[in-house]
Amino acid sequence: MGAMRDRAVHLLSRLSFGPTEAEVVRVLEMGEEAWLEEQLAPGTEQDERLLALMPEFQTLDFSTARMYDWLREPFDGRSDSELSAAERTELQKRRRIPRGEMQRAVFARSVMSSRQLEAVLSDFWRNHFNVSYTKGGPADFLITEYDREVVRRHALGSFPEMLMASAKHPAMLHYLDNHLSRRPPSKQELAEIERRTRRRTDSRERGEEAAQIAAQRGLNENYARELLELHTLGVDNVYKQKDVIAVAEALTGWTFDSSREGGWGFRFRPEMHVKGDKRVLGRKIREDNDNGGVGEGEEIVAMLAEHKGTAEFIATKLARFFVSDRPSESIVKAVASVYRKKDGSIPDMVRAIVAHEDFWSPEAVRSKFRTPFEFLCAALRAVNAEVFDANRCLGALRDMGQPILHCDDPTGYYDTAESWLDPGVMATRWSFALDLATGKVKGVEIPVEFFDDLPQDVPRLWQHHLTKRLLPGGAGQRTRNALSTVTDEYLTKARVPDSRELGPTLVGLLLGSPEFQQQ
Amino acid sequence: MSNSSRRDFLKKASALGLVTATTPFESMLQAAMRTGAPQSGQSIVCIYLRGGADWLNIIAPYKDKDYAEVRPTLALEKADGLVELDADWGLHPAMRSLEPLWAEKMLAPIVAVGSPHTTRSHFDAQDFMEFAAPGNRTVRSGWLNRYLAESQDKDSSQFRAMAMQELLPRSLRGEYPVLAVPSGMDKAKGAKTLNRFEEFYGGGAGEMPAGEMPGEMERPEDAAGIVKSGKVTIETLRRYQEILAKGKTEVKYPSGRFSQRLAAMAKVLKAGEGLEVAGLDYGGWDDHANQGAAEGRQATRLKDVADSLAAFCRDMGPKMDSTTIVVMTEFGRTVRENGNGGTDHGHGGGMFVIGGGVKGGKVYGDWQGLKPERLYEGRDLQVTTDFRDVFHSVLAGTFDFKVPKDFFPDYKSKKISGMY
Repeated sequence: MGAMRDRAVHLLSRLSFGPTEAEVVRVLEMGEEAWLEEQLAPGTEQDERLLALMPEFQTLDFSTARMYDWLREPFDGRSDSELSAAERTELQKRRRIPRGEMQRAVFARSVMSSRQLEAVLSDFWRNHFNVSYTKGGPADFLITEYDREVVRRHALGSFPEMLMASAKHPAMLHYLDNHLSRRPPSKQELAEIERRTRRRTDSRERGEEAAQIAAQRGLNENYARELLELHTLGVDNVYKQKDVIAVAEALTGWTFDSSREGGWGFRFRPEMHVKGDKRVLGRKIREDNDNGGVGEGEEIVAMLAEHKGTAEFIATKLARFFVSDRPSESIVKAVASVYRKKDGSIPDMVRAIVAHEDFWSPEAVRSKFRTPFEFLCAALRAVNAEVFDANRCLGALRDMGQPILHCDDPTGYYDTAESWLDPGVMATRWSFALDLATGKVKGVEIPVEFFDDLPQDVPRLWQHHLTKRLLPGGAGQRTRNALSTVTDEYLTKARVPDSRELGPTLVGLLLGSPEFQQQ
Repeated sequence: MSNSSRRDFLKKASALGLVTATTPFESMLQAAMRTGAPQSGQSIVCIYLRGGADWLNIIAPYKDKDYAEVRPTLALEKADGLVELDADWGLHPAMRSLEPLWAEKMLAPIVAVGSPHTTRSHFDAQDFMEFAAPGNRTVRSGWLNRYLAESQDKDSSQFRAMAMQELLPRSLRGEYPVLAVPSGMDKAKGAKTLNRFEEFYGGGAGEMPAGEMPGEMERPEDAAGIVKSGKVTIETLRRYQEILAKGKTEVKYPSGRFSQRLAAMAKVLKAGEGLEVAGLDYGGWDDHANQGAAEGRQATRLKDVADSLAAFCRDMGPKMDSTTIVVMTEFGRTVRENGNGGTDHGHGGGMFVIGGGVKGGKVYGDWQGLKPERLYEGRDLQVTTDFRDVFHSVLAGTFDFKVPKDFFPDYKSKKISGMY
């Protein structure tokens, strides 16, 4: 790819949620490298419209402890059982607020933020370290802090640090059930449970029942498995089932305070911990007697972060995300080697990707199919839309199968074409594209200048101008012909051509065109 | 179900004014009887009740003293108008509209069915069930998709499978392409949208075949299959719209999303376009609180499901002979009601299998009773029938499909005796 402009467009197609004319110009003026460094360096938000929007959110900056207090503020510290039915409904409603704010904030940032690369990487890590509101229970109020302190805080930082932060965050421990994982109860403990229940219920049967239930409690492998399979080494890479069990044992007791007093933070409970040395990936993890056992898990997480397999897995996923659904061995190797030399530094891996020839190869250009989320963000960016209320957009994402922070599967949403290119889904994009362009998406506005500054006296040129703005990578003959058909039809009917009439139709069609589905 | 009982069912339905009196069905049926020709076009309709429906109040062991005892406010009794199925079982009164299907031996409830896996998580349980691989997280294709992939040939219809909703349920996800019908596509606006984009995706006036643009190198949107997928979307959805426009709904369906989607499904099935598998979800069954008994929140949903399915069966008429409806949920709920007038996540649950080929009129499943010592972990129903055996029976019974050895990973499935 020769032309500097084409390079800028490609860079922005992958490192932002879609090129805009203003950003293309900025890249051309600053140079690719300076733009990349600016985006990789810590920085503050510059987008005025986003800055103006943020104060509307009240819970985004809350710690979980603060969130919990806030949820219960209207109920003067009374417990659930003391609330009336109406109050309980009120509490349920209140519990949905943090979720709505999170989704709207993630969407607004992705569309408008001047920190585009941070937003793009946050999306990547949000899926890599997936947690989901569909888990229910405390997920409602745990995820806000998780997204801020684990995902966004480390999105441009160090992978090993993000891994450890995710491992210790209540949202993850809850999502993958690690807080339930424990050594099996001892005989004495079971007897104690039975005795207590019997005394409380005055029923021998209930006492035995309680002990029976308690006896079933034990190791939960859920988090340990995903830690190996999804967060570090990749599926069936190096580890075996016995490693999963050993990791799960080492992580017993990694739980969180589910009380106001405890502050809803990470808490290690030695009484749940499986004692003894563990053996993980052939390495002996010595029993951590000094700290009751928490050190074993920490040692394992650190060991996994340093593992060659992790470097390769993270490199593969990043290359797949930024370059191609089928990344070459060469780029994976290059990025993995940077991971190992730079201790999992995320900015260094991004630099290595952009520096690699694969990133710029003609086969890579526009080869990635936009996920529904990427499609929506790109569409709104392309028309310079202002988002007042993202609810309709969030609904569209739901219809397209990618509601924000609602991926049930611990895999997170996939970013490859095969996961999204099913017959049927395209129609939902088309409807949304036409609705957006013709002002039918409530809460989202396209500035009128967008249509007013078309050359009013030459309606035949409108499609070219709009194509240049919306498809900076160019349109194929088929799309150009189809746009001409629409223009012709309009011009035979319209007495006085009006760019506010034809313009939106053309924009809707461009957003729904095959070219726009790719980045 | 014999042909005579089928006629009885239809006759009763018309007497109730629920089916038009003239019966194209009857003549079709007679034609089929005359020639003895097999009814072609077998199909499975997969209904998923998401959230873990409380099956113990759907098919209730209403004479069991333990049932009344552990469910002081939720237990159903005869006085509630419960439909007495046999000496032990009663159907929830809100589901009375299914009674004719039971009487015609088309309805087979299965009790204490479920997954051997211990999870009480919705998402794990749904995954494991729809991928039909409990505990196995590497299997990412649904059991119905695996069937489609295993049994496809080059003449396979574009309409072999569809989800009557925006998203594919997991049971239909996988390598075999399945159409997810977006909402609003049956309306005029949907048709207009398709027309608008036709030329962009290689159809219509432009007559530019996908991937063969003269004088141009293959463009990325062609190479990636986007143009083709768009073209297929337009063709199938347009055909879908034509079928809907042409098709007749023979009965009155309840209003509401679920039944309207079923009505559309019935049209496609009756059109004989080769639709073999159709999926539809019904959400909201996670009744932790204020579940209600004979009336209330669960009852409202059950009525909608039952009335819709009953209308669907009447609408389908003789086509029901080649159709199996499976109704499932990820797990049953706690035997004992909780302190909030609801039930919590449990283990063993239930299913319905409905169809002309099904030997219904009988409750399937090995019932162990509700004594604490017979319960799973002292609180939930034991699973005595593996859901994979139901899937196996349904696939074999509906399609004569020989379920391959590894179809259910690490599990040797078998048919449920006497179900078909």
